[in-house]
Amino acid sequence: MSDSHDPRTGEPIPEMCADDKATMAAPNPPSDSGLSTISKATYFKEAALKNLFLVCACVAVAGVGLIFLFVGLKGWPIFAKVGIGEFLTGAKWYPTKGFFGILPLIVNSLLAMAGALVLGAPLAIGTAVFLSEVASPKVRELVRPAVELLAGIPSVVYGFFGLVLLRPIIAQLFGGLGFGLFTVWLILAVMILPTIAALTEDALRSVPEGIREASYAMGATKWQTIWRVLLPAAKIGIIDAIILGMGRAIGETMAVVMVAGNARVIPDGIFKPFLTLTTVIVMDMPYASGDHRTALFGVAIILFIISMLFVASIRVISRFGKGMS
Amino acid sequence: MQSRERIDKRLTNGFALGVIWLAAIATVGALGTILLYVIVNGIGQLTPAFILTWPHGVNMEGGIWPTIQATLYVTALAMLITTPIAVLAAVYLAEYAVQGRLVSTIRFAADSLASVPSIVMGLFGLALFVEGIGMGFSVIAAALALSFLLLPIIVRTTEEAIRAVPKYIRWGSYGLGASKWQTVSRIVLPSAMPRITTGVILAAGRAAGETAVVIYTMGTMINAPLLPLDPGRTMPVHLMLMAQEGINMPAAYGTALLLVLMVLGFNLTARYIGRRNRRMQG
Amino acid sequence: MIRRSTVCLAVAIAAVCLPGLSGCAKADVASQTSLTVTGSTTVLPIAEVAAEDFQAANPGKRVLVAGVGSSAGIESVANGTSDIGTSSRDLKPEEKSLGLIDTKIALDAIAVIVNPSNPVSGLTKAQVSDIFQGKITNWKQVGGPDLEIGLVNRDEASGTREAFSKFVLGTSDFDPTAAVLPGTGQVRSVVAQAAGAVGYISLGFVDSTVKALAVDGIPADEKTVADGTYPLWRTLHFFTKGEPKGLVRAYIDFVLSDKIQNTVVRDAGFLPITEGGK
Repeated sequence: MSDSHDPRTGEPIPEMCADDKATMAAPNPPSDSGLSTISKATYFKEAALKNLFLVCACVAVAGVGLIFLFVGLKGWPIFAKVGIGEFLTGAKWYPTKGFFGILPLIVNSLLAMAGALVLGAPLAIGTAVFLSEVASPKVRELVRPAVELLAGIPSVVYGFFGLVLLRPIIAQLFGGLGFGLFTVWLILAVMILPTIAALTEDALRSVPEGIREASYAMGATKWQTIWRVLLPAAKIGIIDAIILGMGRAIGETMAVVMVAGNARVIPDGIFKPFLTLTTVIVMDMPYASGDHRTALFGVAIILFIISMLFVASIRVISRFGKGMS
Repeated sequence: MQSRERIDKRLTNGFALGVIWLAAIATVGALGTILLYVIVNGIGQLTPAFILTWPHGVNMEGGIWPTIQATLYVTALAMLITTPIAVLAAVYLAEYAVQGRLVSTIRFAADSLASVPSIVMGLFGLALFVEGIGMGFSVIAAALALSFLLLPIIVRTTEEAIRAVPKYIRWGSYGLGASKWQTVSRIVLPSAMPRITTGVILAAGRAAGETAVVIYTMGTMINAPLLPLDPGRTMPVHLMLMAQEGINMPAAYGTALLLVLMVLGFNLTARYIGRRNRRMQG
Repeated sequence: MIRRSTVCLAVAIAAVCLPGLSGCAKADVASQTSLTVTGSTTVLPIAEVAAEDFQAANPGKRVLVAGVGSSAGIESVANGTSDIGTSSRDLKPEEKSLGLIDTKIALDAIAVIVNPSNPVSGLTKAQVSDIFQGKITNWKQVGGPDLEIGLVNRDEASGTREAFSKFVLGTSDFDPTAAVLPGTGQVRSVVAQAAGAVGYISLGFVDSTVKALAVDGIPADEKTVADGTYPLWRTLHFFTKGEPKGLVRAYIDFVLSDKIQNTVVRDAGFLPITEGGK
């Protein structure tokens, strides 16, 4: 979203990826060369400030650690009691009767995520391509704020919209109650769209202009350029965008709980109610106690691990992608 | 044969571009539908009475003032806690950090925090702040939990803002004999301030719309919080409960509209600051 | 620049320290002039409006009311988090040892509702049971059109679900593939909009958008509940830890007063405790 153009020459500055940013730290002033051009007091003050900033940066690490610690501690007893294997692969979630298997929840979360991606990713990538390659500046000024606004709408409002407008329409059109995978896919697709679109647009923008010019010079049409040159060139960024969208889809709660129907089984149709890893917490937490409550914290820590896996996979893919080029 | 290829090429091009236009139209259309629906159904509710009075009666008839106060309070408190830490962390990452294991870990941690599902953050807040430290359902517990959620967002935008400051400005400062901190504090940060402010305001919009985090740390009691230890119900939580109860739908629509207007307000303010900044920079 | 961020930091630290100071003051005030009532969302309307009227009649006193579900309400009054726990169900066996005193405050009936376009107008209790267990899946099996039954259930925190389960299912379980909705109004609006839907809500919330079925031939209305012929009814409770005293006693007496029983309780669609019932 930042204007990455050199203000003097107007040339675009290519987007740096995370590792590059870390290596190219801002230049250090001459005072670091060992010559005593500054007083000892200033030196200590500078060092102290640097350490203060480092502490601030480490708050992020502390945060992750604290989440693991506190949510994990609260959830640990259920793993000890039921066994982590049984917890993850058990096919029955019926805590009030002592069944703590979250497999149906995992499957449902994955189903919801997959459908949202199938619907949302092409739409998002299409919008990103539109913004980056096809739209005139005037139209861009209209569409890009729209995408940013979509990102800003709170998830409760999405859920509310799904509940009051989408659900009755789907019930009318397809029978049943209107809850289920189909409704969730529609809502989630619109929710992850801005995430994927923004990152894909960034990725496309960072492809050097020269490549486009070369493609046009060889007589390619715009679409051929996009399809055969630009999208492959931006492949890593697009994959990152999609993985981030996946993470967002699987972690979404409020929007899903209002339109999913919350039945604790794997649905046998896309218009049947179902429960996911996130919605089980929000549905059960108000009354859960004892082992049930512990199990919900267990689900939370599993969710946390899943989201961290997504982040890690982005890193791995980026490194792999760079190795290739 | 060559002209056949050319026609095929043009047909595919035209078709593909048409599909791309459709994608963009669908996106804008989705936004338009949601906004229009919320506005049309909620606009009737937006009277001064609705905004300024308390809910009363069997189904929360009346106004939603305490939820507005709770939302503003927790958002302000969360921003107050998180902004200084995030800005200073970004200063470190942009100005002082050298590639190494520590920095990689910090970045990984920041990215992880950014993708934590908000309900996990809510349970974390419940476990640590509400029950562990014993704050109970309170504005401060919610603000602390929210600040972990907002930290990576502000760090990211601040870092980008700092890096966007051209290098030659720093060189000029060092050339004059300034120390690193003097350069950062008097040249770089002020120059990046509009972008940083934009990022902060957008993050505030995110905080205002959070539900899952707030519901487990601030509770659901209708209350206009005055002290940080008071519980309260924010607008997104109120919307969720109203929608779930399903009995007073007009109030739900009104709350939804007000919430969307609030977030829109944050968004437009941030955009305005950004545009003004760009215009000034020429 | 330095000054601004320092000031911000100082304010942030102060804001975090402030709770420590305010915490002491709060505890003394709470027990005397304000009281907390949490629990059933079914009882919520009575508790809230009564609270408003009570506060108007007793300036300076505050009654904080929240609807979190009967189970949560019982738990919070047992562990001291709230002064009164409201419930739309009786105590479970494991809750009987918590030392809670029961004050009955109203009567309620549960109605089985269907979409107004559904020609079925009555079912036997056995049929209702089979439908909600998932054994009957099509309306034609009970004399209706060939339409799949859309089963709507309440969440497990709901006192209404608890009561319905006890009356209708006995020891059997609900169909796990049923949609689980967290609020009465939602059940009502879903049933009102989906042709094949069936659900259950408090009789007090039945309006013209849904149709209440007769159970075992007895239609669901105030008369049949009052004379006890309608089979699905329950009492609404205020639970307190030990005998209610002081402000709590005053509030409970207020709720039991004739004025509130005949206005607020009836307005919410329930029946006064003084009338009928066993």
